[in-house]
Amino acid sequence: MKVFRRALLAVGSAGIIAAVLRIRGRGGVPPQKGGWTELRVDGEAPPA
Amino acid sequence: MTSYLVVGVGAIGRRVVEHLGEGEDVMGVGRHDQWPPAEVVVLATPSPQHELATRALASGAHVVSTSDDLDDVDALLLVRPPDEQRLVVAAAAAPGLSGLLARHGATFLTQLDEIHVQSVGTGGPTCAIQHHRALGGTSLGWHDGAWQERPAGTGRELCWFPEPVGAHDCYRAELADPVLLHRAFPEADRITARVAATRRDRLTARLPMLRDPHPEGLVGAVRVELRGAAGTAREVVVLGAAQPLAGLAALVAAETARQVAGGAMPPGVVTLADAEVPTNALLGALADRGLRLERFEGTGARTAW
Repeated sequence: MKVFRRALLAVGSAGIIAAVLRIRGRGGVPPQKGGWTELRVDGEAPPA
Repeated sequence: MTSYLVVGVGAIGRRVVEHLGEGEDVMGVGRHDQWPPAEVVVLATPSPQHELATRALASGAHVVSTSDDLDDVDALLLVRPPDEQRLVVAAAAAPGLSGLLARHGATFLTQLDEIHVQSVGTGGPTCAIQHHRALGGTSLGWHDGAWQERPAGTGRELCWFPEPVGAHDCYRAELADPVLLHRAFPEADRITARVAATRRDRLTARLPMLRDPHPEGLVGAVRVELRGAAGTAREVVVLGAAQPLAGLAALVAAETARQVAGGAMPPGVVTLADAEVPTNALLGALADRGLRLERFEGTGARTAW
């Protein structure tokens, strides 16, 4: 019974922590730009 | 009309003839055939090519070589063409396009520190044999003012190539790119070259090839990464192109031959990474012929922690 209560407490705690992270966490937005883009040799100027 | 002679009628040679064929006097011959006189000779035979280059130069022609073998490239760099004749060394994919991309990428930096070249795929069967041999040899890399020799097949790096090729593990190999790039960019502190390889490639690299090479590789890409400073900021410039390597090498060789015929190349021994080469004109011509040149743009997104 003691083991069962401890397991229940562990699962419950994990659930609460996961819920807090899910609601309060700032996972950010996946990158919306970047990756391979076409290189225009004549049009693209080097930085100043 | 310029007369071109393409020596070698394999996966690359056939395509060079096709590319040059429009409105020009082009002939493709085998290595041991009689060579008719021509103004520009493109060598698309298996390595070594330095003896063929000497023979072609003696006939009065300009020469474009596609060799990617380290020893052969070293020998080609030692050839002294007569005045006003041109010998372009290693005008293929890597080396070749890699040098053009490095030269163009360097314009984005105010100080160039490192150049790293990676490639995926092979052209025809001879190129596959060369890839196998390169993975079984000793790689050469320029590291802080000295050449470093490392066993080929080591130094795994996961590299992203333009789509549809994507990510591949790349390893050190006995490649000619560092020698050519060091010649063109003596200011760079570190220069390396790697090729993509599978576990089987690495495991069997020091054995004879266990089966016949495929007629032609269907996947290919070249990628050049330059690191240095742009003003006061550190910058990484990554340029690349994805296309099966036989077609890519043939395109680079053919457009280089056109530039040689047009007198745009400097006389003497030239590599495509040299500053005197009309880099933008060549890259523009490759793009006009359908090669999509790409730059890897990073993202400004920050992680949440």
